[in-house]
Amino acid sequence: MTSEPKLRPRAFRLDESNSGLDATPAEVPRASIVIEPTPDPYEAEAEAAAAFAEEAAVEAAQKKGMIGGLWSWSGLFGAALGGLVTLWLGLEVELLLEGLFARSTLFGMIGLGLVGVVVTAVVVLATREIVSVLRQRQVAGLHIGLAEARERDDFKEARRLVGELTRLYDGRPETARARGQISALMGEIVDGRDLIDFSERALVVPLDAEVRKEIVNAAKRVSMVTALAPRAIIDIVFVGAQAVMLIRRIATIYGGRPGLVGFLRLLKSVGAHLAITGGLAAGDSILQQVVGHGIAAKLSARLGEGVLNGLLTARVGISAMAVCRPMPFASGRAPGISDVAPFLFKSEPKG
Amino acid sequence: MALLSDLLFEAREVARTLADLAAGGTIRLGVTGLSRAGKTVFITALVEHLTKAAMPALQGRRNPLPLFQVHADGRLVSGTLEPQPDDAVPRFAYEDHVAALAGPKGRPEARHWPQSTRRISELRLRLEFEPKVAMRPGNHSLAIDIVDYPGEWLLDLPLLGKSFAQWSRETFLASASAARAPLAAQWRGFMANADPRGKASEEDARRAAELFTEYLRGCRAGEYHFSTLPPGRFLMPGDLEGSPMLTFVPLAVEETEVYPPDSLAAMMERRYEAYKTHVVKPFFRDHFARLDRQIVLVDALAALNAGPAAVRDLETAMTDVLTAFRAGRSNLLTTLFRPRIDKILFAATKADHLHHTSHDRLEAILRHLTSRAIARVEKVGAEVDVIALAAVRATREAKVGGPGEPRLDAVIGIPIEGERIGDELFDGKAEAAIFPGDLPKDPKVVFRGDGVRLPTTEVDYRFVRFRPPIPLRAEDDTRLPPPHIRLDRALQFLLGDRLN
Repeated sequence: MTSEPKLRPRAFRLDESNSGLDATPAEVPRASIVIEPTPDPYEAEAEAAAAFAEEAAVEAAQKKGMIGGLWSWSGLFGAALGGLVTLWLGLEVELLLEGLFARSTLFGMIGLGLVGVVVTAVVVLATREIVSVLRQRQVAGLHIGLAEARERDDFKEARRLVGELTRLYDGRPETARARGQISALMGEIVDGRDLIDFSERALVVPLDAEVRKEIVNAAKRVSMVTALAPRAIIDIVFVGAQAVMLIRRIATIYGGRPGLVGFLRLLKSVGAHLAITGGLAAGDSILQQVVGHGIAAKLSARLGEGVLNGLLTARVGISAMAVCRPMPFASGRAPGISDVAPFLFKSEPKG
Repeated sequence: MALLSDLLFEAREVARTLADLAAGGTIRLGVTGLSRAGKTVFITALVEHLTKAAMPALQGRRNPLPLFQVHADGRLVSGTLEPQPDDAVPRFAYEDHVAALAGPKGRPEARHWPQSTRRISELRLRLEFEPKVAMRPGNHSLAIDIVDYPGEWLLDLPLLGKSFAQWSRETFLASASAARAPLAAQWRGFMANADPRGKASEEDARRAAELFTEYLRGCRAGEYHFSTLPPGRFLMPGDLEGSPMLTFVPLAVEETEVYPPDSLAAMMERRYEAYKTHVVKPFFRDHFARLDRQIVLVDALAALNAGPAAVRDLETAMTDVLTAFRAGRSNLLTTLFRPRIDKILFAATKADHLHHTSHDRLEAILRHLTSRAIARVEKVGAEVDVIALAAVRATREAKVGGPGEPRLDAVIGIPIEGERIGDELFDGKAEAAIFPGDLPKDPKVVFRGDGVRLPTTEVDYRFVRFRPPIPLRAEDDTRLPPPHIRLDRALQFLLGDRLN
């Protein structure tokens, strides 16, 4: 036989009280049975599947912008136009240099030097852009990879990806302790899913709190400025600027380094995520938003607009959070609009 | 002649497919399973859920099909039963089966599982839904054709590719195995005297067929639960009861030898071929040759109860049966001319008989059991999934233990009268918490060994059958669809992509 003791199939009758009436006296009275009800596992399974849909939305959004292929018509257009402009610039510069050298060799040399500086700066800038785009691809790739490794409970892959995740935060002193804990436990945890969940709790959840704070602050600022701004154009510019800053800030917190091109790609992902989840979230939050807006708007049109703009900013923030996060919301739940903009709802009953 | 009729049939089918395409989508769902695998209950539950999902009376409740995307999105407009496409085939007695599950004539205490299917029947279900991305405005519709049939008949499909001699040899070989030999003793004794070259006698043929049928019946009985028992009509004759078509038995014949036309061997071979041509082939051609999607229901638990011999036998039967189906990636051309099954779901039914923590192991056993079929199907590009399923869930879960004992993961329900665990015999009235035992971690373990009819005190697991759940009703007395386990996942896998 095997070494571990095997449990034999057993049955427990549950209607002891009923069957006791016609039980023969010879029957030994059985001790009472303890039953602990357990939550229905299939509901939990369905919920996990719903979370899976959210995850799919994030991944689709990431693939659209951050990981997006290099080829597209707009990309081709941009590249071709950029090439033309560069050619024209080159021609102009050459003409300029020729002119300078014709005047005096000294002017020519100065011009040539300046051109060299410009070229160097452009190369450095371009390199940084490329690094930033690659970095974002890495973050999105980590997210998708970790989601899959967690789903399949793949230990090898989980180990590799968690290693990559900790390296992502190498230059961040505030994550030092968490990174230390993870690398210490890397050898001890043998379950892929557990490893991923632990890294999420240790490393990413503190960053979530920071991001949440950023979103709350941005939403507050936007609400306030919209409500107080004397001209519509001011708050339009302000909302736009705040959204851009918020997205950049969130990406930075999660370890991305958005430059210009990287930021545009990120913006595409955020937009895609907003478009996809707009429908998903229709059930709960849009209704609340409209209600909140309605009541506030009754008090004052400006106040109503303030609330609405704040909500919009918060939604942008949530989407940015979802696509910038290097791993899916696995052990916890993704924050909803009422988590990051509670002040907007709290005022609701009072208003 | 056969070629001509086949061609004619193919032409008719292509015309029908074209008509279906013009009328909106049709999907032919093959519900495949040996007898007692739960085909009828699955179809009934599927129809019950899909016709009731969009009913206004049931709105605002917890969605019973959260993973069935079209419904979860709120895009499912309605589900209705329509007249079946083949007038020659009776309609699936959906109402009767629902009544059986809920208790006939409004008496829930008389509820029972539907009787085993005795003849073929068909059903068409039409779903109206709002597509996600539409080329044309308005609702789209999808017709789902489902066929129910006695699972025994499925065992005939592998015969199509076997000659009489081959079939005879295999049947004799199987009947000589340790587990089957005692059951086959009487029939084999009778056959020992039969001379294949001798003159055919109708009397002897009848007697031999009777004994052969008895042997097959014996093999199928509960405690043995063997599966590979062709020809299926011997067990479930349908409208062929007493027909001379069913009076043949396997004989020890040589493949190369030619027997005189009036010999026993020649007569048996003629009847075997007639059986194939007139019974098996039309059945296969009319109902299985043109499937789009397939769900293979396997009652692994009954075989596990009966022991490793039954499990191995089930493996052989499923592998044999599944080779008869055409699988592969579909495109428009194949859809028109040679439809292929592009998605196959293997489902271990009656998953409510064990705790959900054991489902992974049950799935692993099923995956192992059908591994050859899965490999073959995956190679040609069809999509495959394996799940543990309960079309109707008859139990709930809890942790149970006596005082001072560790708590066991148990399922609670009302076991069917006559079921037993250890020394406990159930009466079909009392509720009981059952700890069915743990399935082995390594699925291969259940295939090893020779144990048959082990006493219940010596087994590691024992699955008890339960009575159907007490029917639930909404406030306005509409009957709610019965609870299930992962039926929505199965529906999403089988139909989801056609409802986008």
